[in-house]
Amino acid sequence: MSDEEHHFESKADAGASKTYPQQAGTIRKNGYIVIKGRPCKVVEVSTSKTGKHGHAKCHFVGIDIFTSKKLEDIVPSSHNCDAPHVNRTDYQLIDISEDGFVSLLTENGNTKDDLRLPTDENLLTQIKDGFAEGKDLVVTVMSAMGEEQICALKDIGPK
Amino acid sequence: MQGFPGGLPDLAHLQATMNAIEHACSLIQMHMNPAEAESVIASLHSSHMPYQTCRFIIETSKVPNARFQAAGAIGDAAIREWGILIDENKRSLIIFCLQYVMEHASAPDAYVQSKVSAVAARLLKRGWLEFPEAEKAAILFEVKQSILGNHGSGPQFVGINFVESLVSEFSPSTSSDLGLPREFHEQCQSFLEMNYLKEFYCWAQAALLSVSNKILEHPTSVPEEKVCSAALRLMFQILNWDFKHTANEPDNSHSRINTLTSGIRHDAVMLKKFDHSLVKPGPTWNDVLISSGHTSWLLNFYATLREKCSYDTLWIDSPIAVSARQLIVQLCSLAGAVFPSDNGETQIKHIALILSAIIQWIDPPDVISASIQSGQSESEFIDGCHALLSMASLTSAMLFDNLLTSVRPYGTIHVLSSLTSEVVKILTVNQDEEETWSADALDILLETWSVTLGQMDGDKTILPHDRVFAASSLFNTIVESHLKAAADSALDENDDTEYFHASVSKRDERLASYALIARAAADMTVPFLVRLFSERFSLLSQRISGNESTRTLEELYWLLLITGHVLTDSGEGETALVPEALQAGFLNVVEAVHHPVVALSWSIIQFSRQCLDTEMRSMYFSPRLMEAVIWFLARWVATYLLPLDTRKEQISTTYHDDGSQHESQFSRKILLTFAVEHNQVDFVLDSVVRISAATLTLYPGENELQALTCQKLLAALVRHKQISVRLLLLDSWRDLARAFANERALFSVNARIQRSLAETLVCAASFIKDSEASAQYLRDLLGPIVACLVDNSSRNDLKAVAQQADAIYMVSCLLERLRGAARATQPRTQKALFEMGHSMMNPLLTLLEAYKNQSAVVYLILKFVVDFVDGQVVYLGAKETTILINFCLRLLQIYSCNNIGKISLSLSTSLRSEAQVEKYKDLRALLQLLTNICSKDLVDFSSVGDDENTTDISEVIYVGLHIVTPLISLDLLKYPKLSRDYFALVSHMLEVYPEKVAQLNKDAFAHVIGTLDFGIQHQDIDVFEKCLSAVNALASYHFKQRSAGKEGLNAQTVESQGSNGKLQESITSHFLRLLMQLLLFEDFRMELAGSAADALLPLLLCEQDLYQRLVQELLERQPIPALKSRLASAFHSLTSSNQLSSSLNRPNRQRFRKNLHEFLVEVSGFMRIK
Repeated sequence: MSDEEHHFESKADAGASKTYPQQAGTIRKNGYIVIKGRPCKVVEVSTSKTGKHGHAKCHFVGIDIFTSKKLEDIVPSSHNCDAPHVNRTDYQLIDISEDGFVSLLTENGNTKDDLRLPTDENLLTQIKDGFAEGKDLVVTVMSAMGEEQICALKDIGPK
Repeated sequence: MQGFPGGLPDLAHLQATMNAIEHACSLIQMHMNPAEAESVIASLHSSHMPYQTCRFIIETSKVPNARFQAAGAIGDAAIREWGILIDENKRSLIIFCLQYVMEHASAPDAYVQSKVSAVAARLLKRGWLEFPEAEKAAILFEVKQSILGNHGSGPQFVGINFVESLVSEFSPSTSSDLGLPREFHEQCQSFLEMNYLKEFYCWAQAALLSVSNKILEHPTSVPEEKVCSAALRLMFQILNWDFKHTANEPDNSHSRINTLTSGIRHDAVMLKKFDHSLVKPGPTWNDVLISSGHTSWLLNFYATLREKCSYDTLWIDSPIAVSARQLIVQLCSLAGAVFPSDNGETQIKHIALILSAIIQWIDPPDVISASIQSGQSESEFIDGCHALLSMASLTSAMLFDNLLTSVRPYGTIHVLSSLTSEVVKILTVNQDEEETWSADALDILLETWSVTLGQMDGDKTILPHDRVFAASSLFNTIVESHLKAAADSALDENDDTEYFHASVSKRDERLASYALIARAAADMTVPFLVRLFSERFSLLSQRISGNESTRTLEELYWLLLITGHVLTDSGEGETALVPEALQAGFLNVVEAVHHPVVALSWSIIQFSRQCLDTEMRSMYFSPRLMEAVIWFLARWVATYLLPLDTRKEQISTTYHDDGSQHESQFSRKILLTFAVEHNQVDFVLDSVVRISAATLTLYPGENELQALTCQKLLAALVRHKQISVRLLLLDSWRDLARAFANERALFSVNARIQRSLAETLVCAASFIKDSEASAQYLRDLLGPIVACLVDNSSRNDLKAVAQQADAIYMVSCLLERLRGAARATQPRTQKALFEMGHSMMNPLLTLLEAYKNQSAVVYLILKFVVDFVDGQVVYLGAKETTILINFCLRLLQIYSCNNIGKISLSLSTSLRSEAQVEKYKDLRALLQLLTNICSKDLVDFSSVGDDENTTDISEVIYVGLHIVTPLISLDLLKYPKLSRDYFALVSHMLEVYPEKVAQLNKDAFAHVIGTLDFGIQHQDIDVFEKCLSAVNALASYHFKQRSAGKEGLNAQTVESQGSNGKLQESITSHFLRLLMQLLLFEDFRMELAGSAADALLPLLLCEQDLYQRLVQELLERQPIPALKSRLASAFHSLTSSNQLSSSLNRPNRQRFRKNLHEFLVEVSGFMRIK
């Protein structure tokens, strides 16, 4: 039965493939899907049939996880869709530069300096204020299909 | 006018006010600056003694809205200032209003007149108990004079209108606020019913008589018609009264005899569905309603008028016709002691009389339906159906059928049958149109059938042959019309699944009603279904294709549905039985092969097996058809495979010779055993499992179909021992289990469906007697899944790999499967499943850490643990409990470490709200987990009772509460499911571990108390009860601690709104205030009195001083001396009667419950205000 065992197939360096094929019928609300080349979070799934005695098809409503645009798609439920690899990584925030970039500390001690601050005023002030108050902040960076964005923030308190 | 209240202001001032009001009214009408305009009008309503001003406006203003507002202002002000008005004033206000409407009877803007008249009615009720009898009589005498027509038709209408307002004002459900205790309203209601209601009815009758001739004689419409329809409406309203004084109700023992002899049913539970109720006015109404020939007069009147206006198609919907029919339908529902006790004779005559009249509305059905389709109004037809339904529910089936014999050569059931046929035909032809009258009519008629046929199941009267024939021919029409509709709609590109889902339950309800009709004539209808089915089936064998095949598939689809309903009951949540009507029928069948039900069953099973053939499946077995097949099989297997009766006695061959007394029931025996014979059970089971496996693997992405397979069909198989035992021996079942454990194919099924599949597969294990075999079965089934999770969680590169989408998908599937397995935990499989869970504990914690940013996976882990704890905790011994509790503790810690203080940043509100929904779901899972752990305190089946190193469950809960409480906001508690879970946990905590709660830190404690406040004041009854028991626990703990000389809860205080702003108060006094307020002034539900008493007693004992102060305050606030003394004595007996002592033992609590109940009964009458 060894060849049938359910090991994860991906290798650690599988970053080359940005997506993975998944049957449309198994994608659930809150899952991820690629619609029109964009990684989306599924906020609505409904199924219907093509004609009375046809096959089921899924109607997805997704929200682009980076731009928040709403996208829709209809796929026969037995077909495969692309599901994006969505990764979230925590970094400690070490600096905010004047030109709107952040400096983050990676796990192996290097810094990561290529991320911009979020554009939204509200979120921006939360990060800036927290940083100015000297809080120890951990930011979560979401990445998918070659894009990255700060998506969460946590105050881990003074050490 | 003499005695009119308020000084007379100067004319200029009156004029100015009137202008202001008129201006405000016109502003409101034009939607300009409404807030300001409303405040102008409100100031008139609330001003001191505005009567003269209002009168001036009513009499002189040209703006109808201003007059309307002024009238309302008189009402509001008078109710408010009732105490300072003298009797003279009050009377003159009422008389002013009445005179005004009489004088302006024919003025336009009728709504002003009816408002003024309603104000008069409201004030008359307000003064009802204080005005001398003569005064009221004088007012009503005037009203009566005008109703009788002595002042012309205008005042006549006004008088009727006034009585209408008066009746609605006196009926509690429609009365307006007077700021008076409930007792007052009840007294008024009962007074009116006893003294005036019947009289009012007679006045309306007299008014009707006085105008009827004129209406009937005049060729065109006359103003008197308005009076006539108002009178009819009033009579209808009076018959809608909720009669309380109906003496001489026959008791049930008598009614049974009556039912048998006369056919009148006294057990009729009435027609809630269509908003009709039984009318039981009591014996005093006999002369007005029955012996005076009122009904036949009314029926004649309607018939004559109908004849006269037959040229006018709109007449049927005219007010006069509508209200007359309403009244007639209402008269159908007359019941009880209004009829003399002559064994139902009078009532039968009464019903037959009405039926003979209304039969014209519905018979002949085809002619009437044709005219409705060509534009005639359908309302008369619908009313006729309503009348039939009322009659059917008051009579036995035999009597119902015979009612018509005097006027028609056929029975009522025949009419009902042809009516229903006609309506079904129209409905199925016009399915897509917006036309709904046929659907409405069908609902009413099917309900009539259910009422008529439903009772037959009980007393087993068998309908005479022609009635059976009526049912059978109706069923034939139904089936044929629907098959035609199905075939016609087969090619519709019908994409509106939303609509489809909304109407599924509606469709099932209708099919179930059809099935009832079919079963009434089972001897004819089941063979009919057999024939139809085999015709369609053989078409498929001829390999038809294209549109023709689609039409046939749709017909088969519909046939499967209706057959499923005819052969089986829905049995949702109950054991499915073979329907009694089918068991009792088919008396002349002696061999199984000739039994129509058997034939039908086998032919459908044969048909279903065709889907295992690749060619047949790809040609014909569409997902939709498969859904019907699976649905049918699930119901059929549960009902017929091993029927309950045969399951009980050992299934052997002995049933052939167990005596002759059942010989008459030979067909019954065939029906119950035909599957068992010749080892058909295994054959059917094997087919079912193979069909199920086919839907799971060969219909990719068809979630609905697969869900139906796992949740309905397979779940039905593992519900009963005898079936499961056979199932486990089948190769096909083993294959399915093996595929599930070891093959990839089933991973392409939706994860939620994999969970259900795991649940059924594991469930079967609990029927394996040998515990080692059962454990082995589970190891084979779940071992690979567990091994995979364990292996992968220990990979070195987990962190990198885990985030890949396919890895996440795989982990989610595995977790869902484990969750399904955990949900199927049974005593026999508990041990093996615990071992599985035990080996998963560390890997799960690793995964929780690795997936901390993947909320979907986190949620699945939490839900698995919730279900695992739920299934296991009650069985675990001390050692296992420790393992489980420690695991939960670490899980909670990791979760809180990753989630507390985290802020999600997101650009879009919809993604943000999605994130909040995820938080909410996590939180609920955590609450459920804590509650499940707690259940160990209540139920404990563990075998060993050794107490060495038992873990303190309270410790976990304590940590858990600290984690959960900061996350729960009052906003979140507005979600009913969450708040129920939360309060269940809190009340349990307080009951079992009050000392732990007392140790919570200040914030957490204040938070718990705050949520209790919230729960007591805002939530539904369950939550309220839980809060009461929490308060009870808290106060009892405090009381006991203090009695023992300890501190209790004194360390914890709570801020509460006291009399002088914010003040520090002890918790017990805080809740005492809150509870007293609730009991006395708010709409308190009596069924909660017990829990309230339990909470109140310890509070009283803790805070005796405060309680006395509160009682004093309440007494001082009560202005009326009589009520004051009643209140005082009620309070006195609350705490002193029944030898109440100051302890919290059980008898004392019981006594206090009794006391509080009496107290509430006594006090609620005058403390609660409407």
